[in-house]
Amino acid sequence: MNVSSPQPLLVVGAGIAGITAALEAAEAGKEAVLVEREQAVGGRVLRSHQYFPKLCPPSCGMEINVRRLEKNPRIRVLTGAQVAKADRSANGWSVAIAVSPRFVNERCTVCGDCSKVCPAKVPDPFNLGMNEVPAIRLPHPDAWPRRFVLDRSACPSGCKACVDACTYDAIDLNAAGREETIEASAVVLATGWSPYPIEKLPELGGGRFQDVVANVNFERLASPSGPTGGKILRPSDGTPPKKIAFVQCAGSRDVNHLPYCSAVCCLASLKQATYVKEQIPDAEVTMYYIDRRAPGRNEDVLTKVAATEGVKLVKGKVGKIEECAGGLKLRLEDVEAGRILDAFADLVVLATGMVSSLKGEKPPFGVGMDDDGFGLDNPGASLFIAGVARRPEDVAASVRDATGAAAKALVAARRSA
Amino acid sequence: MAPLADVFPSAEFRDDLAGRGGATAARCYQCATCSSVCQLAPDDGPFPRRQMLKAQWGLGDQLVNDPAVWLCHQCNDCTVRCPRDAKPGDVMQTVRSLVVEKLATPAFMGRLVAKAGSTWPLLLGAPFLFWVLVLYAVTGLQVPAEMKEYKDVVPHWLIYAVFFPVAGLVTLAIFPSGLRFWNLLGSSGRRSGSFVPNLVPVLIEISTHKRFGSCDAAASRRWGHFALLWGFVGAAVTSGLLLLAIYVLKSEMPLPLLHPFKVLGNLSAVLLVVGGAILLYNRLVGGDRTGSSTAFDNFFLFVVILVIATGVLTEVGRFQFQPALNTWIYILHLTVVLCLFATFPYSKFAHMVYRMLAMVHERMTRPV
Repeated sequence: MNVSSPQPLLVVGAGIAGITAALEAAEAGKEAVLVEREQAVGGRVLRSHQYFPKLCPPSCGMEINVRRLEKNPRIRVLTGAQVAKADRSANGWSVAIAVSPRFVNERCTVCGDCSKVCPAKVPDPFNLGMNEVPAIRLPHPDAWPRRFVLDRSACPSGCKACVDACTYDAIDLNAAGREETIEASAVVLATGWSPYPIEKLPELGGGRFQDVVANVNFERLASPSGPTGGKILRPSDGTPPKKIAFVQCAGSRDVNHLPYCSAVCCLASLKQATYVKEQIPDAEVTMYYIDRRAPGRNEDVLTKVAATEGVKLVKGKVGKIEECAGGLKLRLEDVEAGRILDAFADLVVLATGMVSSLKGEKPPFGVGMDDDGFGLDNPGASLFIAGVARRPEDVAASVRDATGAAAKALVAARRSA
Repeated sequence: MAPLADVFPSAEFRDDLAGRGGATAARCYQCATCSSVCQLAPDDGPFPRRQMLKAQWGLGDQLVNDPAVWLCHQCNDCTVRCPRDAKPGDVMQTVRSLVVEKLATPAFMGRLVAKAGSTWPLLLGAPFLFWVLVLYAVTGLQVPAEMKEYKDVVPHWLIYAVFFPVAGLVTLAIFPSGLRFWNLLGSSGRRSGSFVPNLVPVLIEISTHKRFGSCDAAASRRWGHFALLWGFVGAAVTSGLLLLAIYVLKSEMPLPLLHPFKVLGNLSAVLLVVGGAILLYNRLVGGDRTGSSTAFDNFFLFVVILVIATGVLTEVGRFQFQPALNTWIYILHLTVVLCLFATFPYSKFAHMVYRMLAMVHERMTRPV
């Protein structure tokens, strides 16, 4: 392939879409710079316990991607880095990247001596703040680059316990950030999504009751690297739940919240139902839905899970959730029975949707968006969007999407050269 | 599963509904949020999700006999939460206006009032002309400069001579409609017990507006509607008592301010003013919580407000009598009251009868 522009492709966001786009371009012979805001790559996919339809842990897929990243000399990965400024240049984009200080350098062996002595505790961002971790730690077991990170803002004044404990001279509390400018031939934005905040759903108990959790938090509850070590427990009292309700379209397909379908929540809940049944075989799982959206081959997952004993699917959107006798009472109309139900559950999972990371932002690239805040490709400006920043989609679709974005970016880069 | 039954969708009914303010029904995707947040829907017959489906399909025959259409008090809890902005509260209200029209006797009166948006000049003009003509015939419409009382222009006997027959005609008109409705309701569910013993608790419930109290979104409407209802009841009772005062007790008219009948009348007026003000305020600033206004709603509210306003002005006129001005205000008052009476079976006012019957039906079909 004739890739004539010497300038690299810039990929913003190192989740599954960004990693894929950068890898595909690099493996096609293009130089690529992959910029990630967090200190380790992997984004939201790594925060899943398993992904559908195969129900395997995301770490295995990610391991292959990391090997590809490590092996490929054409990719540079900047973690802890954000786009500060982006301007159109004659051949593409001139992008200023602000790289935050990295207090732990490459000499780190992940021995953990620093963590043990660290007196400061911070909410764990990897576990969505569901537990606390030392200010200096490995961000998560599958972190790459495989190196500790330090939340410097949490350090008590004058404390250098970690520096003293480190026998590899890997910690520099005075490290400075830097800025670097990348002249890119084309840009792929793969900045992903954030979960719709359940606090905006007080009528469903979001932010009001401890045992009403978001689907993304439930992933962490089931994951071995999560706050409970993979045990599904009620946040209120730490006991295993016996009756679990999944509330579909919580704040989705709703003009008062997200007007669109996030495309993954039905499958995510079905998948999470399998976590429950595996751990707590006698648990009763009920999924309350408007429509069961499992397109294509995902229908097999639906059929299989729906046939599981102790799993019920009830048509009817839950309108109201109240606390009741140590549990939760869900009010809905069972549409097929034509009756109001006051269903009891001791743990409720709100299947909330995905909000585009571009929504509401004034992004430095001046990217165009649809009404819902999802990004639109701008081939004239050599600017492409991949993954959920482009549209709500599952992991497999994000990967395909990212491959397409890489191809489009390569074409644009050749044109601009 | 219920056995399969034929349905008879009517595009005409659906379009009629859409044309009158129920077009949003088409947005509904049957999630049933509305039914789950409705505080009034019984557990075994939730609404308005089902009614939204019937509205979309144009199943007029299944809406006209559906008690749920009338058990709805348009709190709009459903509309506020509806994820599609399909406004179930408005759709239910529009369905009610269609039912009133479909059951109207005679049918042309139903059509006339249903289209109040364009027929209002006739609906208000006819009673006005009627009063002017009657007064001209009886008194020559002379407004003597030394006139002291309304009765100098409009004798008391004339008022009773007009309103008694009108009330009778209206009763005659609403009776067959109510009966038809009652029979239609009967086809939708098996009733047990008899009418009167079930009517009594319903009347008690209406008198306290207990159901209205369950509404979240439009809580203030309960008290507005409550005040209006009791204001009208008080005004009706006062009219009866005045008949007694004039023709039996031969009291001197007008009655002194502290006369019990007068006190009751004035108390009713205060209730009417307060209730009317609350409902008007809701209509003007309520948004989703009040629902959209259709000509059917607005005409009724407009007439009620005019009745109250001209009534109060008529009484105020007594204290600062300006013969010509006050006479015309009084005639205006008589006009709108006559309009309110005459359109009762065909306007939103008729909900009094239909909702009451639906509530009695509901009691009689409740599983024991």
